[in-house]
Amino acid sequence: MLKKKICMIGTNAVGKTSLVRRFVHCAFSETYESNIGVKMEKKVVKVPADEVTLVLWDLYGEDKFQQIQMSYLRGMDGYLLVADSTRRKTYDDALALQEKVTREIGKFPFVFLLNKCDLANQRDIETGAEGALEQRGWQVRQSSAKTGQHVEESFLWLANEMTAK
Amino acid sequence: MTTPGNRGESTSTSHMAEQAQRRAPEAPSQQTSSNDNHALEELRHLIVAPERQGLAEIRDRIDNLERRAEDVSSVVAEAIQMRREQGDDQALTQALGPTIEATLRDSVRERPHVIADALFPVMGPAIRKSIAETLRTMLESFNEALEHSLSWQGIKWRIEAIQTGKPFAEIVLLHSLVYQIEEVFLIHRKSGIVLCNIAAPGIEPMDADMLSGLLSALQQFAQDALRANRDDWLDLFRVGERPTWVEMGPNALVAAVFRGNPPEDFRVRMRNVLEEIHQRYGAALERFDGDVAPFRATECTLAQLLEKRVRQGEQSGKKKPYAVMTVASLILMALLGWGSYVTYRVHQWSAFERTLQQESGIAITSFERDGGEYRIRGFRDPLAPEPAALARQAGVDASRAQFQLAPFYSLDDSFVARRANKLLDPPKTVKLSVKGGVLRAEGAARPDWIERIRDRGPWIPGVRELDLSSLKDAEVVALHRNVAEIEAVKLLFRVGRAELESGQQDELEKTKGTIAAMLGHASRSNQSVVVEVVGHTDTTGMEASNLPLSRQRADQVLQALEHMGIRNSALQPVGVGTSQPLRAEDSDEGRRLNRSVTFRVKVTPVVPAADEKPQ
Repeated sequence: MLKKKICMIGTNAVGKTSLVRRFVHCAFSETYESNIGVKMEKKVVKVPADEVTLVLWDLYGEDKFQQIQMSYLRGMDGYLLVADSTRRKTYDDALALQEKVTREIGKFPFVFLLNKCDLANQRDIETGAEGALEQRGWQVRQSSAKTGQHVEESFLWLANEMTAK
Repeated sequence: MTTPGNRGESTSTSHMAEQAQRRAPEAPSQQTSSNDNHALEELRHLIVAPERQGLAEIRDRIDNLERRAEDVSSVVAEAIQMRREQGDDQALTQALGPTIEATLRDSVRERPHVIADALFPVMGPAIRKSIAETLRTMLESFNEALEHSLSWQGIKWRIEAIQTGKPFAEIVLLHSLVYQIEEVFLIHRKSGIVLCNIAAPGIEPMDADMLSGLLSALQQFAQDALRANRDDWLDLFRVGERPTWVEMGPNALVAAVFRGNPPEDFRVRMRNVLEEIHQRYGAALERFDGDVAPFRATECTLAQLLEKRVRQGEQSGKKKPYAVMTVASLILMALLGWGSYVTYRVHQWSAFERTLQQESGIAITSFERDGGEYRIRGFRDPLAPEPAALARQAGVDASRAQFQLAPFYSLDDSFVARRANKLLDPPKTVKLSVKGGVLRAEGAARPDWIERIRDRGPWIPGVRELDLSSLKDAEVVALHRNVAEIEAVKLLFRVGRAELESGQQDELEKTKGTIAAMLGHASRSNQSVVVEVVGHTDTTGMEASNLPLSRQRADQVLQALEHMGIRNSALQPVGVGTSQPLRAEDSDEGRRLNRSVTFRVKVTPVVPAADEKPQ
């Protein structure tokens, strides 16, 4: 039996908690819930070799906690980097966070989610941004916690990647 | 680089010999030189031959797989032992572990009985020990609960449980427990992933992954927020009534969730356990990549920490609660008495239900208990006994029964007979009976009642057929009885005279009464009656005078009867002289009986006149 720690990384209100709720409970809530520092969820998934218990660390997105967030990342096996595709700043923040994580914690499997893709008409990120990142070897997906698009698939890809090591 | 004239030190001896051999035919004149070479060759052979042989043998041992295996097999046990003695058995375990595991797995899969046989001697005792331990713990808890529930304190705690809404067991625990370690977790320090966890019997385990993640996050939060040293950690946190103590090691931490107040030296035991785990699993903890399987074995070590301590006073103070036991006994007896009474009442009601069901004039369709009341539904023949009366006979309280019985006619023979008796009101001389729906009347009755049964009998519910073959007309019966009485009468006369003997007048009057009654019966039963008054004489004297004397005697009686009110038309005088003697005249008494008048009655039904139509 394998157990893996996955962190949800991204700035405030990009949809990290909603993505976790969609993945773990197959539900989406319109109401926004703030959390305190970190919130735990877990889900058991099947990978080709075994079953894996994913312990999901849903980190709080406020900037003032960034310093603390970094310590929460220790011991993780992978993470989901999340940005709100309707807010350009969150995309820039995500890129900065990714750099910081790599520098301070190390390299781990991750998926970059451009969330809230159900609001396609409000997209605030230039077309082709995904392509540029994919050329750098990143896994980039347009996701929606509301419709469930690419949510489970992203978590499962990460689970497979972490266990394939 | 070598030349024939200048052979370097590195040139091998064999090469020199070959060159010497090649040079020999080219310079036959140099015989001396050839001999030298031969000597050299011999010398060389003497010096290097054993070495070459040894080298070839070594090469053979290396190249030959079979021989190499043979060599290794002779030292492998010593090598393992030596490695263990060097104290580096961790690496040896790691090296051999996967192979042994794979071998074991294959063996279990392919030849399970081999492993089963090998484990049999240890599995049995282990399982027995585990079961015994579980039973002992259960018994301990049960004894405790029993003791508390029978004591005054126990009653107080029960009241407290009712007031606070908490389970009684929890209240007992709160008051009597010094402490109990309920759950122990082994957590990987860096990832916060729980490696192993164990809960005390009867304790609902928490979600270990959630708790360990939170604990790890709290540790990191506390260390970051307070700028704490890596060696300082959050060693206690409390949620509700269950605090958690934490002992931190280099790669793992042990957390114990408890109730009550464990002694401070429990922390020392936690630390000892943590050190033991680090000692045995140090490498596995450092290399941890998410696979928790290797840490399952730590369960036994962690189980040492699942302690429970109960207040001494509670255990040693085994005061026998006599007063409470007496009260409890009285309550128990009262309960038993009440239970018996309730059972008796229920039994009575059941008996009453059976009585109702057996009663042929009552058909019960439902007999339901509704609280303390009984609701009884069904049908009842009006001639059946009152159900309330039956209830009283059965000893049950009829006021608690609600009867909803619709009227119906029972077709049971006994009920049909009762119904027929009620409707037909037969005279005492008639007996009615019913068998298979056939109403049978036996005895004698007046014609009007016979007519009544003929008219009404077939309409009585349950009567299929009438049987009146044994029912006689009472008037006819009386008539024939009178006829028999009259024909038995002998009125005696004086010798040679048409005068009754003295004392015969009473007999005549009595006979007159009987004749009058007979005529009445004949009249009421439509019978025509003629009474022959027959005069007799004895054989003494002349027959010529005897015949008229007999007629005179008949006339005498006829006149007397007419005089007493019997109508003449019903009487017919006959004189038979000595022609019909009543007795043989071999004695005076025989002759006396023949000096008499007797009666012969002729009864014939009255034939209606031709113009008289039946009504």
